[in-house]
Amino acid sequence: MDFRMDLIIDYMPFFLKGALYTIGVSLVGILLGTILGLLIGMGKIMRNKLLALPFILYITFFRGTPLFVQILLIHFGLIPLVLGQTNAIVAGIVALTLNAAAYIAEIFRAGIQSIDRGQMEAARSLGQTHVQAMRYVILPQAFKRMVPPLGNEFIVLLKDSSLLAVITVPELMYWGRAFQGQYYKIWEPYLTAALIYLILTLSMSYLLGRLEKRLATE
Amino acid sequence: MIKVVNLKKTFGDNEVLKDISVDIQPKEVVVVIGPSGSGKSTFLRCINLLESITDGHVYIEGVDITDKKTNINKIRTDVGMVFQQFNLFPHRTVLENITMSPIKVKKESPKVAKEKALVLLKKVGLVEKANAYPDSLSGGQKQRVAIARALALEPRIMLFDEPTSALDPEMVGEVLEVMKQLAIEGMTMIVVTHEMGFAREVGDRVLFMDGGYIVEENVPSELFARPQHARTKSFLSKVL
Repeated sequence: MDFRMDLIIDYMPFFLKGALYTIGVSLVGILLGTILGLLIGMGKIMRNKLLALPFILYITFFRGTPLFVQILLIHFGLIPLVLGQTNAIVAGIVALTLNAAAYIAEIFRAGIQSIDRGQMEAARSLGQTHVQAMRYVILPQAFKRMVPPLGNEFIVLLKDSSLLAVITVPELMYWGRAFQGQYYKIWEPYLTAALIYLILTLSMSYLLGRLEKRLATE
Repeated sequence: MIKVVNLKKTFGDNEVLKDISVDIQPKEVVVVIGPSGSGKSTFLRCINLLESITDGHVYIEGVDITDKKTNINKIRTDVGMVFQQFNLFPHRTVLENITMSPIKVKKESPKVAKEKALVLLKKVGLVEKANAYPDSLSGGQKQRVAIARALALEPRIMLFDEPTSALDPEMVGEVLEVMKQLAIEGMTMIVVTHEMGFAREVGDRVLFMDGGYIVEENVPSELFARPQHARTKSFLSKVL
């Protein structure tokens, strides 16, 4: 097999540029997805079932259908409807955010519900309002338990961002495919892309591991 | 001080409290005994609305807490509660457990709250644990911290829900001692417990509950020596 290292080196600026896009859309997706996920998770545990219903339907749809389908729907359907014309990067970020929010909502819900009922009762018996009890007692404890599953979700999101290549977001996988198209090479672009993804996900799990340790000793 | 009138509580089809009426005087120590499932804990939890009240009224110092206009959070700062499972906040130190609500709810300055907390910790004999986390404490120590935490809001009434039931036998005494001290200082207390010795020694009045009713009530010496109802007799014969 003729493995062309020189082509990889030539193409490296594109890979790096693509990696920056991958990091960018992933970070924005994580940030917005976490905020949206918290709101949706809180919505789902509302006692009024009618008010909770839209949140339950949201989670059901985004967890029950493939991300690929969602990306196409948003890129060719939703974004043109809202903006008049589509924009790959906007569509990509919206799709990743909406999808991740559904999973993150479930992580928040599970985290909050895993805290013993006695904690809420103790806080309330000390005169705290429901909101104060959530903020000072329940969420700090729940957050600690949510770090590992949130970390998983962030890693999944980072890898899933590769699907955005099909709507021409110039991220890592987009350049991998461009490389294949240009040189009719398979191993060089995809092994390089795989390696860069691996570096990104390992860095992320390292950072999350440190966060977990810091929370544990607190 | 506390007036309970025709209190009823149902969970679905299950009627746990059927018709409870009782008057509790300032500085009185009322001990509630009875078999499990008799509604003792539910009765106690209705007094600070940890359980919603199905029917009837509870007045605390003349204020009807079942009235929707009553600020229940304000009432709860006057009614401290101690739980069987302690329910300390594991992510906060002992000192922070005690100062959290005075600072957040009563808007005390952190400095004042801390000084008061240290006084309370001294009272329950745990000053040296101020900066420890709850997980490093024994059960008896946890419960004493929980009592100090409830006292930090300067309540006028204290509710105890089986405070020694989750403790190893050798730790029961240290918790009862703190409670006895509180009673001597004139705290109004309602104590759900299986500690008959405590009921006899510290209680001003004992309520025997069974099947959602107060079956019998009397001063401890009378109730333990001459129970009037068959159910009281049968219960006491099993626990004494």
